[in-house]
Amino acid sequence: MSTPTTQPANDLLTRAGAIENSGWGRSFTFYQPRNAAFWVYLALVVSGAFKFFSLLSSSAGAYGEAIALSLVLFGVYGAIFWWFTQHIDRYARQPVKLIVVAFLWGSFAATWVMAANANDAILSLYAKTFGQAWASDWGPGLTAPFTEEIAKGIGVLLLIALASRLVRTAFDGFILGAFIGLGFQIFEDVLYALNSAASQFGADPVGAAMPTIILRMVFGVAAHTLYSAIFGAGLVYLLGRPAEPRRVGRGLALMATAMLLHGLWDSAGALTQGKNALLFPLFFVMVAAALTLVVRVFRMTVPRERQFLSDILAPEVDRGVITDEEFVALCGDHKARRAFRKSAGGHAARKRAEYVLEAAADLADALADSHGTNTGRVEFARSEVSRIRSGQPSVKL
Amino acid sequence: MTETETTVRDDPPRTPFEPEDRWVPVDRRWFGLDRVTIIPAAIVLAVAIVMSILIPAVNNSVAYDDEVVAGDVMELKDGITFVPAVGWGITDGVRETDAPVSGSFPQRATLVNSGALFTVYTAPFAGDANALLEQIKKTSDALATAESLRVSGDSSSITTASGIRGVITSYSNSTADGVIAAFVVDGKGIEVVSTGPSDVAPTITDDIAHMIVSISHRAGEGS
Repeated sequence: MSTPTTQPANDLLTRAGAIENSGWGRSFTFYQPRNAAFWVYLALVVSGAFKFFSLLSSSAGAYGEAIALSLVLFGVYGAIFWWFTQHIDRYARQPVKLIVVAFLWGSFAATWVMAANANDAILSLYAKTFGQAWASDWGPGLTAPFTEEIAKGIGVLLLIALASRLVRTAFDGFILGAFIGLGFQIFEDVLYALNSAASQFGADPVGAAMPTIILRMVFGVAAHTLYSAIFGAGLVYLLGRPAEPRRVGRGLALMATAMLLHGLWDSAGALTQGKNALLFPLFFVMVAAALTLVVRVFRMTVPRERQFLSDILAPEVDRGVITDEEFVALCGDHKARRAFRKSAGGHAARKRAEYVLEAAADLADALADSHGTNTGRVEFARSEVSRIRSGQPSVKL
Repeated sequence: MTETETTVRDDPPRTPFEPEDRWVPVDRRWFGLDRVTIIPAAIVLAVAIVMSILIPAVNNSVAYDDEVVAGDVMELKDGITFVPAVGWGITDGVRETDAPVSGSFPQRATLVNSGALFTVYTAPFAGDANALLEQIKKTSDALATAESLRVSGDSSSITTASGIRGVITSYSNSTADGVIAAFVVDGKGIEVVSTGPSDVAPTITDDIAHMIVSISHRAGEGS
């Protein structure tokens, strides 16, 4: 009976390897005084936050209402993006603390310490070298893609040094890059709103800021969050990680793609020579192209994460905790999950099928946290999968 | 299921003890720091220094040399124009002959000469020139710090050579003087701010006066 005995043992070894390689379930400690990256992070984020809040406080006297409105609206907008980005990170999920650290890098260090200073100086140099008109047309498109993508993307390098056990795959770079970009986008948008509030001599700050806020929200779906997700994935491919072999060409191509998308967006006015009949269609084409690209990068990076999930849960199929159909749906894409739910039958059964998948994902988390050992939490997670599948009520009153 | 299988499934491979996140192996310690974190941290710090210090320093070391010559006319958004004084340096804004390909002239133009600064800014405004000056004063007061220039309460009327009526007032603090003028034409407000040292040369003052009265609006644009 050597085969039946060896197979489960191999599965368990594979599971242990997947948990180790993925960093799934590993903790993150922010305060690491012996980590040089911690001090650099702290210095730059605190400097950026100081600069940002100094700017807000100096403008609050004249534009306080517009600032408050933009903070609230972009806060809600950012929360939606936050939820969505966490939702797609359904595999070796990053700890919330690390996500907050990524977000704050984009919010303060990348924005106010790095990009803002470099942008102003480079635009001024362009004006001095090529003239004001040229700088006005092409300066933004030939500045921000380099300064801002590098300022945000280098945050992923810092996060690797801060959380080397957690940032293991290009998908991790994709997710953390997205959160860095989200922070950058939200706080840059607040600045844009503030500039607009001041644009009509301060006569109607809220009225002057609202069109900017709406436009930034509409077109923000394909902006910094998306660029940085692509750039972050590219950076991890470029550097290579224990669970992601180095692919220099792919990494550079993705980083260049993020810069190109950003550059085209910032040059749209000059490319269409200011013709609104061309400008808005071009915006929609660029948004569609950017969304298509980011989906492709997601599909490019996610298989490794799905393989980790498959490796972690495969022994649970042998054990009879998860069915083959559930396993396929769990480790597949959204179409596989949808097909699984649909196959369940009526509304209640489809809902139950969805809950079973969520409970199985909880089991994967519990197994990762325990390094694959059988703990009370793991046993409970197994029992929850069975309970939900059978339609029994929860033990929690 | 055999006994062997059951044992294997319930006794997964033992994982080694995992030290806490702050632990650093002794062979990676360098002056108390984790050696492998130094290079990435140094790279990030270097990029931050280049972006926030080095590039701005390079920019500061390069002077503007875009000097106004006879015949130049500055153009702003919505057809607002003025004739810059010869010899002043253009640090912001474009000439009417140098239209951006995006088709939209900027809202602001700034010129400098011998420590004096002359800025013209345009934006939509509902109200007359007095209301615009009052709004500028209100915003300026709300943003003012102890060192800020303050808009004077007194104002007088001014009419440009093209017939645009406006108001002008003084603008000063303990070390600098200046003027602020406000005009409104076809729903577009025009703010002129000029500041300089208290002992600015009379020729500079003349240049500023000529630039203000040269402000014009090309009818039919932006209205």
